[in-house]
Amino acid sequence: MSRAWRQLLLLIGKDLRIEARSRQTMGLVTVLGVLILVVLGLGLGPGKVPSGPSGTVLLWVAYLFGGVLCFEKTMAVERQDGTLAGLMLAPVDRGVLFAAKLITNLLLIAALAVVITAVGIVLLQFDLSGVLGPFVLITAMSLLGFAAVGTLFAAAVSSTRLQGGLLALVIFPICLPLIIASTQLMVRLAERPDEVGAGGYLILVAFDAIYLVMSWLVFELLLEP
Amino acid sequence: MRRTVDDSPATLAIREGTVTAGSQQAIAPESAASKTSAVRALSLGKHIDDRAILDEIDLDVPMGRFVALVGPNGAGKSTLLHAIATLSPATHGSLALFGQTVHRWAGAALRARIGMIGHQSMLYRDLTALENLTLFGRLYGVDAPGERAAELLEKVRLSDRAHDPPKAFSRGMVQRLSIARALMHNPDLLLADEPFAGLDVPSTRNVEALLAQLHGEGKTIILTNHEIAQSLRLSEQVVVLRGGRVVLDRPASQVDVDAVTREVMA
Repeated sequence: MSRAWRQLLLLIGKDLRIEARSRQTMGLVTVLGVLILVVLGLGLGPGKVPSGPSGTVLLWVAYLFGGVLCFEKTMAVERQDGTLAGLMLAPVDRGVLFAAKLITNLLLIAALAVVITAVGIVLLQFDLSGVLGPFVLITAMSLLGFAAVGTLFAAAVSSTRLQGGLLALVIFPICLPLIIASTQLMVRLAERPDEVGAGGYLILVAFDAIYLVMSWLVFELLLEP
Repeated sequence: MRRTVDDSPATLAIREGTVTAGSQQAIAPESAASKTSAVRALSLGKHIDDRAILDEIDLDVPMGRFVALVGPNGAGKSTLLHAIATLSPATHGSLALFGQTVHRWAGAALRARIGMIGHQSMLYRDLTALENLTLFGRLYGVDAPGERAAELLEKVRLSDRAHDPPKAFSRGMVQRLSIARALMHNPDLLLADEPFAGLDVPSTRNVEALLAQLHGEGKTIILTNHEIAQSLRLSEQVVVLRGGRVVLDRPASQVDVDAVTREVMA
């Protein structure tokens, strides 16, 4: 195994171990996500909550806010005692630092998405039967792009005082095309599945590729100890 | 037999109050390697929005030299250390580390020769002391990181707290662990940014002893500090920074506390 791969696994393992011990990210993020879903459900009222795949829009609201908090928390670990400077001093490629934080974030928001979706199915009677496979695929592809942008900007704004608020302001507009594409694809899959071919997924692949490459390239420039 | 913190000549000298620039010279005799510059900065500058944080810094630190950077708050001491560590690249001038010119960020091989003790501990508070050290050891590709970590924990007298996280430590213990982290990869150059800040007298003596011992082992050390007398006692070369500029650069044996204080206060 190459040195970069070893370092990548070390950094991911470190992040997950810290999270397992402190539980400061997942606990908070999950509660926030579930609360958002419950508030939206109560706000819309009985019988008004979209129960089909269009209900994924509600799920995305919870993913977005929970995700932003998650990105902020995982980067805060590196700011708390200046450990980011320690990592930047080590002979570790900045790309490896980005990839490790991205994979950590992706794992955490994937876990968040599982919990929130389950809560949505139980509490709000979301009916994803028949589209569960595509739903999982589309959500996973969308979360990848979301995590790439989130990881990049969490690193950039973590040294500012605004942090969380600023992070949401930056990430939401950038991720909007991805979220629209994702939810529209889900709706089309539910209503006219015959009309959706591989091309429908390609747009998500394109967004992921753009966000991943852009984030990977810019990360090094934005990183300040 | 392994020499410990307590019985090194440097430690004994400090305990006996005999550590001076002269005695430091005796601890780290000149060698062929010391002819090479560990750090060589020429007209180094860092400007942010037309404001010069560092301005026309010329600095030559031979291998094995113990240099103290002193100056008032905002003089640019930490910025200079960050620039040398290539954490925050300079915007003007040139910087060479161990004879190699640094372009914006140092390569991995060059960074692996630098250890840094910062204002912050650079330790994960939810990992144990041992886990912190082995993590950084593995990132640096240290052979047998567990053994090296155990050795350093003994050196900084934290062996009995190896399985406790830094969040359960006192400030002095965190600082000692921070030094151990910086030494995991056995760096040639140690940058210590105000390592005595917030320490009580016993902890200060401990850290002083550690630095003196490391210097005795031949490490190049650049220390930023507000305590002028302490800086003169520990170092061989004193550099005073004021307003981002070097206003004094002398062997510690050729200046006294009053002269350095005058330059700092001017």
